[in-house]
Amino acid sequence: MRTRVRNGDPAAFAELFDECARAVYNHAFRLTADWSLAEDVMSTTFMEAWRRRASVDAEGGSLRPWLLGIATNVARSHHRSNRRYRNAASAAAAAHAAEERVEDHAEETAGRLDDRRRIAATLAALSLLKRPEREVLTLCLWEGMEYTDAARALGIPVGTVRSRLSRARARLRKLTDAQLLEEKREPTRTNRQITGDRGYAVRSAQEGNR
Amino acid sequence: MNASPSHRPHPAEWTETQSLLPSAERDLPAGRHQFHKEQMMARIHEDLRTSSRTSATSAVAPVKRPNPFLRRAILLPAAAFALAGVVVGGLALTGGETDGGKTALATGPALTTTIGVADAKGAPQLLERISLAAADTSAPAPRKGQYIYIASKVADSYIKTVGDKSEAVSDELHSRQVWNSLDGRDGWLIEAGATSDKGITLKSDTPFSGAYDALAELPTDPDALLQRIYRASDAVRDPEVPRDQAAFVAIGDLLTESYPPAEVGAALYKAAAKIPGVVAVDDAVDATGRHGVAIARESDGERTEWIFDKKTLQFLGERVVVVKATAGDPLKVGTVTHTSAITERAVVDAAQQVPGQAS
Repeated sequence: MRTRVRNGDPAAFAELFDECARAVYNHAFRLTADWSLAEDVMSTTFMEAWRRRASVDAEGGSLRPWLLGIATNVARSHHRSNRRYRNAASAAAAAHAAEERVEDHAEETAGRLDDRRRIAATLAALSLLKRPEREVLTLCLWEGMEYTDAARALGIPVGTVRSRLSRARARLRKLTDAQLLEEKREPTRTNRQITGDRGYAVRSAQEGNR
Repeated sequence: MNASPSHRPHPAEWTETQSLLPSAERDLPAGRHQFHKEQMMARIHEDLRTSSRTSATSAVAPVKRPNPFLRRAILLPAAAFALAGVVVGGLALTGGETDGGKTALATGPALTTTIGVADAKGAPQLLERISLAAADTSAPAPRKGQYIYIASKVADSYIKTVGDKSEAVSDELHSRQVWNSLDGRDGWLIEAGATSDKGITLKSDTPFSGAYDALAELPTDPDALLQRIYRASDAVRDPEVPRDQAAFVAIGDLLTESYPPAEVGAALYKAAAKIPGVVAVDDAVDATGRHGVAIARESDGERTEWIFDKKTLQFLGERVVVVKATAGDPLKVGTVTHTSAITERAVVDAAQQVPGQAS
């Protein structure tokens, strides 16, 4: 497969697309919090992959990490600021909530509701992270990549992957704490200490705090 | 899998992430997987046809125009279907195309031309006159069940790679005949080099965006029309093609192999006059050698020209000319990369029927 992709065999790209389009699409969604942007990123990613086919190593396993690395770069050029990510995440959360209200609950399977809530939780978690941390966590957690693969896909040293992940973990821990606090109905202490920067206005509106 | 070199647990094992796993994913919206796949394949086939860039590609037999109806994909993979906002989905574009049953087409040295002088100031005035000429309503309106017939002479230039040698060549000028049903769901194509003498069906679940019915329902207010064209072309545009160029080419696609109602044709020209960068060209020659004036727009070193008769201002044809040398483009300035001359536009009673034939 790698050799065929390197040589520019159209059929190999067709197979690669069928195999990986969905994964790239969902990865792009996690990075952009926007389904339609994710679709753009997905399509650009494959065009880009075609353009860069000569850079594929002849040796190696699945090309999925390579594609996800390209997708990460493409998504980065779309979404520069954390603030924009949070805006998109709250818009997506609102859209998902609306879907939930509109759909006929009698026909709604528990699985789909679960999925929707898990996606909302994913966005909430990713909203807390800075972009570089989000990129690394997305590859390692949902794509199940090892540190070395993530490092190669992003073109960064393994040590950097590790340090980004540990920062991501620290931020997520605060989220878990904050959720516990919320359950105890102490809403005043939610966001300020979590995000660590100034872009939290969107989230607080979403949660109805003053 | 390699053992993780870290002593720390993998993120999947963190307590902090347990509520986020297993991952929840979505499929692409209905039809979009196929849509994007076809766009990618169109790009790939086009690159293979025109490119001599890398040794990687020369190992592959150049694939010549995998789908003759998608010619415009050369210029603009996405906007070719802009107004409908959908791709011609029913047509097979995905890999594995064979050359079986196609007539042979000779190639020769790349076509070249002299480049006309562009004048930005003259464009609105010329388009106004063209629009007035297009508003003439003497052409018969088609009836339900009839077909639009367009005959043209066309040729394309591209880089041909044989072994490790590449050169710019042009197809010999050849005839192309297209029939489209009014709803754009049925049609027929006969083109040398692309189909057999008998031709191929253009039947599709996704209607052709330049079909008569689709054109007839377009707004005739130029501003509303232009807005609609931008919106539709933005939705599917190749990100590498500038927005205004995509809109210009989208309008051109609606004017070339089509039969727009008079008021819509007139409005399309008025809409084109509002696109930044559109120029008038004092002299251009169509595929059959007819000279005329042109409305044009340049992007990425190539100028797309719509050619009109100097006196009657009837649409003669369209061509794309290299006007600036760009890095990485092996085509020389003056090369005509695509040229077409419309020789007949008519309403007929059935697909594969030529005008004048009894039904």
